[in-house]
Amino acid sequence: MRSDAALVPRAIPERLLEPPLTDGPVTPGSLDDQVLAFPDRRPPKKWYLGLAVTLTALFTGFGFIGYTLFSGIGEWGNNSPVFWAFDIINFVFWVGIGHAGTLISAILFLFRKRWRNAIARFAEAMTIFAVMCAGLFPLIHVGRPWLAFWLFPYPNQRGIWTNFRSPLLWDVFAVSTYFSVSLMFWYLGLLPDLASMRDRTPSKLRRRIYTVLSLGWRGAASHWQHYEKAYLLLAGLATGLVLSVHSVVSFDFATSVVPGWHMTIFPPYFVAGAIFAGFAMVVIVLVVVRESMDLKNLITLRHLEVMNKVILGMSCLMGYSYMMEGFTAWYSMNPYLHHTFMNIITGTYGWAGWLTISCNIFIPQLLWFRKCRTSYFWMLLVAAGVTVGMWFERFVIIVISLHQDYLPSAWRIYKPTLVDFGVLLGSFGLFFTLVLIFARVLPVIATTEVKAILPGAQPPHGGHHE
Amino acid sequence: MSERTAAVLGLFDTPGALLEAIPAVKARQLGRLEAYTPYPVHGLDGALGLRKSPLGGMVLVMGILGAITAFGFEYWISAVDYPIVTGGKAPGSWEAFIPIMFEVTVLFATFTAGLGMLLLLNKLPFFGHPVLASDAIKAITRDRFALSIEAEDDGFDAAAARAALAAAGATGIEALPAPDRGPFLTSDYILRVAGGIFTACVVAGLLMYGAVKLFPVLPPMSHIEDQPRLDAQKADPFFKDGFGMRMPVPGTVARGYLPLGVSSQDEAAALVNPLPTTPAVLAEGKRLFHIRCELCHGPLANGTPTLTAAYGAKPANLQSEQIRNYPDGKIFWVITMGKNAMPSHAADLTVDQRWAIVHYVRALQRAQNATDADVKAAEAR
Repeated sequence: MRSDAALVPRAIPERLLEPPLTDGPVTPGSLDDQVLAFPDRRPPKKWYLGLAVTLTALFTGFGFIGYTLFSGIGEWGNNSPVFWAFDIINFVFWVGIGHAGTLISAILFLFRKRWRNAIARFAEAMTIFAVMCAGLFPLIHVGRPWLAFWLFPYPNQRGIWTNFRSPLLWDVFAVSTYFSVSLMFWYLGLLPDLASMRDRTPSKLRRRIYTVLSLGWRGAASHWQHYEKAYLLLAGLATGLVLSVHSVVSFDFATSVVPGWHMTIFPPYFVAGAIFAGFAMVVIVLVVVRESMDLKNLITLRHLEVMNKVILGMSCLMGYSYMMEGFTAWYSMNPYLHHTFMNIITGTYGWAGWLTISCNIFIPQLLWFRKCRTSYFWMLLVAAGVTVGMWFERFVIIVISLHQDYLPSAWRIYKPTLVDFGVLLGSFGLFFTLVLIFARVLPVIATTEVKAILPGAQPPHGGHHE
Repeated sequence: MSERTAAVLGLFDTPGALLEAIPAVKARQLGRLEAYTPYPVHGLDGALGLRKSPLGGMVLVMGILGAITAFGFEYWISAVDYPIVTGGKAPGSWEAFIPIMFEVTVLFATFTAGLGMLLLLNKLPFFGHPVLASDAIKAITRDRFALSIEAEDDGFDAAAARAALAAAGATGIEALPAPDRGPFLTSDYILRVAGGIFTACVVAGLLMYGAVKLFPVLPPMSHIEDQPRLDAQKADPFFKDGFGMRMPVPGTVARGYLPLGVSSQDEAAALVNPLPTTPAVLAEGKRLFHIRCELCHGPLANGTPTLTAAYGAKPANLQSEQIRNYPDGKIFWVITMGKNAMPSHAADLTVDQRWAIVHYVRALQRAQNATDADVKAAEAR
């Protein structure tokens, strides 16, 4: 009897299927009215309040940056041997946040995950803003940002060229390429939506702006054909790129000889961490957007649940990476590496090590429970924990490895200054200010992409390309 | 009406209706068919007979070009133009070039895909297309599907096109006039924008000029120059007496300045010249005598000074009987402490230099008072 029952194909439980695109009926028209109407409405008080908070953070932070530029980076806590600290931590942190957007928009696109269409636009926008925040830090880290163009190889009267063997130069290329490609990808996706905005806004000024931005897009079938091809190609290219960017960032560390940095696991470990942190940030922002902009039927709880599953998977991958770090320290029989690893769990900064492990490995395990995956409280708790944890992970990697390496006479305890914290606050201010402005002036959901996969959107037959 | 019809366009409610309408309208061969849809509709390119997009090939070619460009650039810089050994690697070792090759490949490919699609294949931006001025565009970018028959030559039959679309079930049929209105960006508008930008630049330039004038010296990060510190020879409120520099602790002995252990010229008579009379010592003594002594005591040390007119005092004749009978220590003492109008040379000459001068003075004295025996001894040598 039992074996017979096992042979009968059973229906796949609903929760294992790909989540539905929308909750409740949505038509192309109702979608436009819901999503594209925001720029034509007066922003609510909450929005102004949020903008006031983020702008305060932004201007405070930029005040501190101005102070740094005026007075020199001696105002930061960095000192021998911890020459890299908050600046590089923040850089790696923000670049990592950006990776979620590219993963959602490119990799999930290639995998034909339909649920990604509702959140792709916001995630892509967050990528661009996060890379802008990230770019800020190497710029001020060089000390004299007005000479930052020296980073690029260009013929100059000094008669010198950049060193192509330096991972720091690879970084310059990787991050600038990443920003350009993300911007291109984002803009191409926006183009048809901007055309929709152009054709529906009652304001003359906005129509003129959207007309210029949409480049006269008219939805011709011959245009769509090239457009779809370009979008597919960009998705493929961005997929390779997103894996390469954080790998190159990890080379900044892995190609050095510092114990705790010189490890082959770094590139995949960094990429996983980036996606992990990025998804957490996307969850935080999407929950706020979904509630405040009343997009509950488009960004559904099931979408958030799937995101939380990705976070859980990445958390396990991070746990594996941490264990491999410990294993490498033990198996290498390298006393310096061993010392560095023990420093992470028992050293002066041991609290940071344990905070990292708790926030990134232990707390996300809550997401095994469906209740936690679908509850705002628990998912925000986990996402906030991951954001904090991933910031501290970079702190652990950078500061703990640097503050005690081969030469005990050079050991020193690193202490950040007020300016360090101020600049970090400024980067958060910049990020959320841009997010808020984006939410008001551009379509927060890729309406065109969602329209194309709504029920009945494609003709019943011949649903394939010739 | 001289207005020429560029296209006739009708709307459909569903993509299915649009697709079904195409074959019948196409069969009439009234003009070029184009569809306008709010999102890409599957099967349209086949129904309209559109050729495959060449974008993939373009991107492949440009991507390869990007890789070659990056490699060539990196190799030329690292191995040819500026070969510097880093990390013990041969200048031409190519492995380190790969990350940047990859990034440049992606960059070239992306810009080809994006800009190639927009600028080359779709000929955008273009704001003068008749569809953009139609009533239907609002519906097209929202939720309706348009089929348009576009004029290919002057023989376009607008009425037949209308009839064909109506027969196919289209609603909201409209004829689109050829764009004879001014372009979206009129020259007047461009001029105004350019004028605005120019004015803004001038104002910004003037403000910058004023700011630079107002703060002529505002060097960022020059604070390394004004650290809290004590400068030599400068007053400083840090100490009660207001002097920046401190006196050494009593009894401090400067490096290389051992106390002589004598306190008068008579006591100094007991000092013995520690230096041997070698040619090197005498040559050094001669050199220092030239610098320090000759001006007053004369080249022969006979007190005939070079500066008699300007210098009122009468320097000692070192060839005098009295001084020739001085022990070495007394001459050393005079150089060290000075005598009458002669200042101390202790600060200018080290102890050994002083003793070297003493040797040289003795040589001068002997040369000026030589005996026959001395002459014979010199000749014998």
